[in-house]
Amino acid sequence: MTRVPMERKVLNENEQVAAELRADFLRHGVFAVNLIGSPGSGKTALLERTLATFDAGRRVAVLTGDIQTDADAVRLARYGFPVRQISTAGACHLDARMVRRGLEGWNLATLDLLFIENVGNLVCPTSYDLGEAKKIVLLSVTEGEEKPLKYPGIFFKSELMILTKVDLLPYVPFRMDDARANANVIHPGIEIIEVSCTTGLGIDSWLGWVDCQMSAASSIPSLL
Amino acid sequence: MHEVGLAASILDAVRIETALHAPARAVKVGVRIGQMAGIDRDSLAFSFDVLLPDSGLAPLELAIETGAADELEFCYLEIEEP
Repeated sequence: MTRVPMERKVLNENEQVAAELRADFLRHGVFAVNLIGSPGSGKTALLERTLATFDAGRRVAVLTGDIQTDADAVRLARYGFPVRQISTAGACHLDARMVRRGLEGWNLATLDLLFIENVGNLVCPTSYDLGEAKKIVLLSVTEGEEKPLKYPGIFFKSELMILTKVDLLPYVPFRMDDARANANVIHPGIEIIEVSCTTGLGIDSWLGWVDCQMSAASSIPSLL
Repeated sequence: MHEVGLAASILDAVRIETALHAPARAVKVGVRIGQMAGIDRDSLAFSFDVLLPDSGLAPLELAIETGAADELEFCYLEIEEP
């Protein structure tokens, strides 16, 4: 019996494609973010609200993933920016090859910002690097404040937690302080923004975060 | 569900690595998984067992070690000369 060292990542192929994507984003100055959250956490609503604030000249595009249907792409396309649906045909996450295919035909040189809306899931997308600059996790107040403890992987890997649907706080037994504390147990210092896509509360903070990150990335290209 | 994909990736990698050592046969593969990797070990082991019979690699043991943070890496492959 011989033991052969095998020091490489299990998802080696995905990692290679993700590295190629990241290099492409860097070369063209595209800031890519990967939005991850449960089904119904408000990913598409956040993107709708975000796109609605952008002027027509904004160099932004969206890839949106779902297991079936192009419903989200239809919703998002109303705002006039390039949007493309990635239908995973049963897969519970996006992988880097899907993103590469999704970008086919788009000229990255015409973009500054790319939103990648992952399939609704707090587990599987955690494992797959898409070449993004930042992972962002969404947690709605209807889900429960213990989610960061139950699904630590994505909260550990995300740089920002967006607490959505905060306009519903008067009607649900969600303890905001506990949610924040739980997220900090898993990822000390994680940035947290509270938003309501219905009332617009916190949207300015979210847009400010995006602009701030893009500015930082453009001055330090390795952050892209 | 993504554990099925991970199990398939493990078997693919074992097949490639084993071919480099032909005519040896793979006996055991070790992987290291961190607690933040978002992977259910039981589900991965189950998926591995489901896919193994049709992989052409059976019998093959999967050994899962605990890694750091979000680690998801191979550690070793044990092979046996015919």
